[in-house]
Amino acid sequence: MHTQRRSTLLCTLPLALALATVLNAQADSGIGVDTWRANKLDPSAGAQGRMTDEFGTSWLIGGQRRSPTGNLYMCPAQPPQLDHFGDWIGYGVLEAGAVGTSGDDRNALWNRYADWDSGLILGLLDYTWQRPDDGSYANVRASRISEDDQYYQAVFGRAGAFKIQAFIRDQPNLVSSNAKPIWNGVGSDQLTLPTALTPGGSTVADVAAVSAATPERTLSVKRSKQGIGFDLNLPMRWSVYANLADEQRKGARPYGGPFFFNYPFPNNGGVLETTKPIDDHTLAINLGVRHVATQWRMDFSYSGSFYRDRYTRYTYQTPFALWAVVPGSASAPLTTGQMAMEPDNDYHNIKAAFTYKLPLNGELSLTASAGRMSQDDRLIAPIDCNGVFGIGLGGNLNPGPANPFLFRCSDWNTPAALSRRTADMRIDTSLLDARISLQPLDGISVRGGLRFNRDDYRNGYLAYNPLTGDYGYIAENGSQGSIVPGEVGLFNPVTAPSNITRVRSLPLDLQTIDANLGADWKLDNKNTLGATFAFNRYEPTHRERRRIDDNSLKLTWVNRSLDWLTLRANYTWKKSNGDPYEFDPYEFTYSIDLPGYVPPAGGTPSHTVEAMRKYDMSSRDGHKIDVMATIMPREDMTLSASLRGDWNSYDAPIGRQDYQTSSATLQWDWQPRDGTNLSAYAAWDRSHLRLSNVQDQQAGAGVDPRLGGPNYALIGQWWLRDSQRDVYAGATLDHRIGRVRIDANWNYTRARGMDRYNYAGPTALAYPALAPGAGPGGGAFPAMTYRVDSISVGVTIPLADRFALRVFDYYERGRVSDWHYSGFDTARVIDHRVYTDGGPTRYNANLVGVMLRVAL
Amino acid sequence: MKPTLPRALALVVAAVLLGGCASSSLIDLRNPVPVTGNAQAGAQKIELCSACHGKDGSSPVPAFANIGGQKIDYLYWELVEYQRGANPDSPMTAILASLKVSDADLRDLSAYYAAQTPAAPSGDATPFAGGEALFRHGDPARGIAPCQGCHGKAADGRLDSDATRYLAYPSLRGQHSQYLARRLKEFRDKSINLSSNDHIMHSVAHNLDDEAITELAGWLQAATP
Amino acid sequence: MTTLRKRTALLLLGASFGLASLLAHAQQTRADLARNLPSSNLSGHDVQATRTSLLGAPGFAHARVVSNPAAPDATPVGEGMCISCHQLEADHFTHTLHALGLHAANKADASVPVCETCHGAGSAHSQSPQTRGLIIGFTKDSGTPIDVQTRTCLSCHEGGPRDHWTGSVHQRNDLSCSDCHNPMANFSSEGLMAKASINDTCAQCHKDIRVQFNRRSHMPLPEGQMSCADCHNPHGSVTSPLLKTNTVNETCYQCHAEKRGPFLFEHAPVRENCLNCHSPHGSNQNTLLVAPIPFLCQQCHTGQRHPNDLHTSQSLATGSNPDERIMGRGCLTCHANIHGSNAPSGPRFHE
Repeated sequence: MHTQRRSTLLCTLPLALALATVLNAQADSGIGVDTWRANKLDPSAGAQGRMTDEFGTSWLIGGQRRSPTGNLYMCPAQPPQLDHFGDWIGYGVLEAGAVGTSGDDRNALWNRYADWDSGLILGLLDYTWQRPDDGSYANVRASRISEDDQYYQAVFGRAGAFKIQAFIRDQPNLVSSNAKPIWNGVGSDQLTLPTALTPGGSTVADVAAVSAATPERTLSVKRSKQGIGFDLNLPMRWSVYANLADEQRKGARPYGGPFFFNYPFPNNGGVLETTKPIDDHTLAINLGVRHVATQWRMDFSYSGSFYRDRYTRYTYQTPFALWAVVPGSASAPLTTGQMAMEPDNDYHNIKAAFTYKLPLNGELSLTASAGRMSQDDRLIAPIDCNGVFGIGLGGNLNPGPANPFLFRCSDWNTPAALSRRTADMRIDTSLLDARISLQPLDGISVRGGLRFNRDDYRNGYLAYNPLTGDYGYIAENGSQGSIVPGEVGLFNPVTAPSNITRVRSLPLDLQTIDANLGADWKLDNKNTLGATFAFNRYEPTHRERRRIDDNSLKLTWVNRSLDWLTLRANYTWKKSNGDPYEFDPYEFTYSIDLPGYVPPAGGTPSHTVEAMRKYDMSSRDGHKIDVMATIMPREDMTLSASLRGDWNSYDAPIGRQDYQTSSATLQWDWQPRDGTNLSAYAAWDRSHLRLSNVQDQQAGAGVDPRLGGPNYALIGQWWLRDSQRDVYAGATLDHRIGRVRIDANWNYTRARGMDRYNYAGPTALAYPALAPGAGPGGGAFPAMTYRVDSISVGVTIPLADRFALRVFDYYERGRVSDWHYSGFDTARVIDHRVYTDGGPTRYNANLVGVMLRVAL
Repeated sequence: MKPTLPRALALVVAAVLLGGCASSSLIDLRNPVPVTGNAQAGAQKIELCSACHGKDGSSPVPAFANIGGQKIDYLYWELVEYQRGANPDSPMTAILASLKVSDADLRDLSAYYAAQTPAAPSGDATPFAGGEALFRHGDPARGIAPCQGCHGKAADGRLDSDATRYLAYPSLRGQHSQYLARRLKEFRDKSINLSSNDHIMHSVAHNLDDEAITELAGWLQAATP
Repeated sequence: MTTLRKRTALLLLGASFGLASLLAHAQQTRADLARNLPSSNLSGHDVQATRTSLLGAPGFAHARVVSNPAAPDATPVGEGMCISCHQLEADHFTHTLHALGLHAANKADASVPVCETCHGAGSAHSQSPQTRGLIIGFTKDSGTPIDVQTRTCLSCHEGGPRDHWTGSVHQRNDLSCSDCHNPMANFSSEGLMAKASINDTCAQCHKDIRVQFNRRSHMPLPEGQMSCADCHNPHGSVTSPLLKTNTVNETCYQCHAEKRGPFLFEHAPVRENCLNCHSPHGSNQNTLLVAPIPFLCQQCHTGQRHPNDLHTSQSLATGSNPDERIMGRGCLTCHANIHGSNAPSGPRFHE
């Protein structure tokens, strides 16, 4: 249990704080997360709710000005009414009230990151103090929607001198609202079956009955985070920052649990969608010092992140009995499966960056960074069982030389069965980045960069049991070896020299070198052209390729020749290739590579088809185009349009062959008068992914890896095309009638995904007997759709001087269809498969709220 | 008897809305619709006006403004402001309240006087060199902005620019210094605050002390900028 | 919240506020640093520092009138003259952080400019306000070139997150600081953005990315729980997609540290790049996947026996041959620890 260690770590921190000279670094745009805290009630954390100044921005100019690109600025908020406390002034707002939900308000999609709950809520508390004399300020901001959805933050500082900020926030994530786990102990590390089911001995009907009787429940994960940060200006133009945050996650989510296939063996195996407990926390530290002078800039930083998981594994009971495929033999009863949790890990990273200003308006920048990701968690035993596992020939479950497929649990259910007790895995990372930019002539700037990045794996693991002399592991909680003889996952040079199994971990060192060269040419005040050539050499180890070279050329154009149009366009040509593709570099991780390995009678089966090109390794060509236009048809109106396309074609007879995405958007913004704002958008995007695969024809024993050979015969080839088409639209209105403010918002999202396939012959199919004919064919899956319509309307009515009443309603309707979950509304147990999550479901839900807003 | 001017009011409101004003009480002159009127028709209605302001807009009484050759937009919107009670103490308020004038009448009157020849500068400008300095360069020490920025180098209400926001900025040249001084003080006290232009003048006049007002007003009456 | 967490949080809060008040009291001296004086060495010896203190002088004390190439002969006029015409702007500006700092510095030392720190000397503009460029403006028709605008902001805000601004994609595309920021009023609750939030600001141009977050699976950006700036540094970074850390994966590990490992048994595409399987801005699939299971996996896996079969809708629960390789979580129901497994029996991610 790690609770003890966690409290020790946290308790020493205040001491560290006191000793450290300066802690600083508020999460800013350069480092760390936590840049924003808000909620679905008001994603703008209060900015949207402020009354705009009815007088506008300036007495000199009506309407709003535009940003250099052409977007209209917003109408500023009314200056606040101030309170005076000695030499401090203060202003703020408190918005509190009640909300009520109705309709399908338990639905996971409706509640996803919001967890609406009927009752009293704190919409917003936001108060600011300022001391004009010396620039000191403080602010508190808070909002509470529910127990799981709330944030509180406070900041105190002096403008330009220092800042201290702290926050606490809880964030919900509803993963499923219709889960029917058959286990007890959801959320803990031990899932046990109810008394109605016998572990390892229940029938499908028993399990189905329990599943049907289980009431639907929610599975969710709550993230709670607390953080504190300091920012400090020091003499001599140095500044220091530090921040510290701890995030806890708690809950449960649908996961898995294998007890071997069910599809080839009716009433056998076990595919269990168990629930994984989430109970962990991550401590993150960022510290740094910066120096900014006229000629030099320096930035030294340290980032640390420490992940601690409460559990090393979780266990679950399996209800099903297994039977062995050898007639007359017995399958040793198995009752428990285990699932390793993520290991506690540590991350350290230090970075130093130097920038020097060069003549010719230039800059030279050097960054060096080194890091380490490590974990040394204790390893769980290869299996959790009592007695024996495997197959007892002739129905005999006594282990011994006469029963070569039967194994003693005592040889395997202990850490003594491992080649080492802890993981001891580590990756060291290093980064060097150099970049230079110069402006040799007026209007011409050139830049270049070099980057070197390396990940070094520092250890490997050999799966070896010193108690038995076996190499390998126990596959699928012992079930595989309890159904098919010789498939338990072990290799032994004496007793099982032809078994092929994984015995080694896969070290994934890598190295990348980037180089780029570019120039920008400002033709005149209206046009800027640019070109960048980039080269990337990626050198992974133990992968299909040792070297992959990416070349790209990007051309850019910025045009402002028409005063009502700002146009930015760019085109990128990409090409990547590398050294010859080796389809099976993984032999060294298998028992094939161990001394004493004897190929089976038919030969060593091929690992995969030779023609497969994994898309992160394959050669590819691509084009990318991106156009953004900001159009100003009227003084009070902006129209933005964008077009984007990314076409990639992979040189892969088998594997991903094409991936294309394209999108177009249109945004319209109209601010006819100060206090009124109307905007609308429409967007459309689509993507196509095309892949090909080939079914093997020789029941797993094929030794010829060639596509078109006897095993990966062309008749078994198939192709799939996944097309996604999305349409989005929305409109927002913000209007004032006298002193009453009306806001309305409508959003529409419609997504449709189609998966169409075709195949060369029936043997490409999982179930060839279902093919209508003997020749090629095709078909499609049902469309996967997602459609959400939401509308919200709110009215803010000023009451007395500082009071206003806000009444709002938010209605959302969702329609979703995901064929993965077809049929789960009627039954979640299908033969030896147990499903927990029913999948996303449609909903109509409404949120109505009445809030009192007080200007403090 | 209160004049009923439903159409005029409607026009005003429409102009205000089109002009981009949100507050129903504020006259937003930041982007006004240019004012047009029939000067000849206006000539038929100047009986009462000419009693104080003269037939040519040149007022014999220093307390009353010279309005000959003033910008039509400024004249019109000033009349509207008086009509709406911007300056309750001014005789103009009572006069306009007693008259039955339509919005078209106001425009025609404004057109007529705008077409007149402006009054020539009178008096000696030399004692008011300080005023010229303020008009041209302002005074950073006192936070006084140069008036020429908005009122034009020639103090003619920015006739050099066709930007709509300058439409209702008045010409100041040759104006009675007594009238100007009173006006500036009224702005400084924020007693006139019905239009966006009034609001501009609040902060401008805020930094004008009495000495500055005297110098400026004196110079504007006498000088030929 | 657990009692332990509450106690710890309160302890940290208390410690920080104690430290803060200590520092606040200590700050009584002002080192006389001129931020904009030319300096070419690191030690700062060329600068008259009469006293050192734990805290440096507030940055605003070093504010100087920025130079405007379009009005080289202009002289400073002071905030009073600016406000006399721009009163309403000043009303909105006055409670922003810049105003707070500049006013406080100006109060202590009248030679510290306020408006002219960013807008340049105002004499030429005050006499001829219609001539564009005489005052540094940050809007579209201000007449000030973009590079002058950005140079002005960077005269105080250089370094830190903006260290790699020069040569960054936004800089090369001729963006000004004022395309995203508007410090003249508090439009947003953090960051002095031009719109009501960081996300809305980015969405001005990157609407196509912003709408992807409306898809079925997405990170909680539309719900206001995170912002674009949690992953990206729009000011420039050492990576091409403007990430805040050195690599894609390290960015993801900031919130998903459990995936960092390194695991005993790795899944190569996971270690290489999270984006091999996930679409970070939103996806029509479950859990931000690029393609539906099992086809996502079948892009790479064609090993013998069970991975390479073509499934049809008959393999679904409503079909004639329900198959665990496609129903529900599909492949992941058995290969659940797909990001890597720390179990000695986990080479295939079953445990």
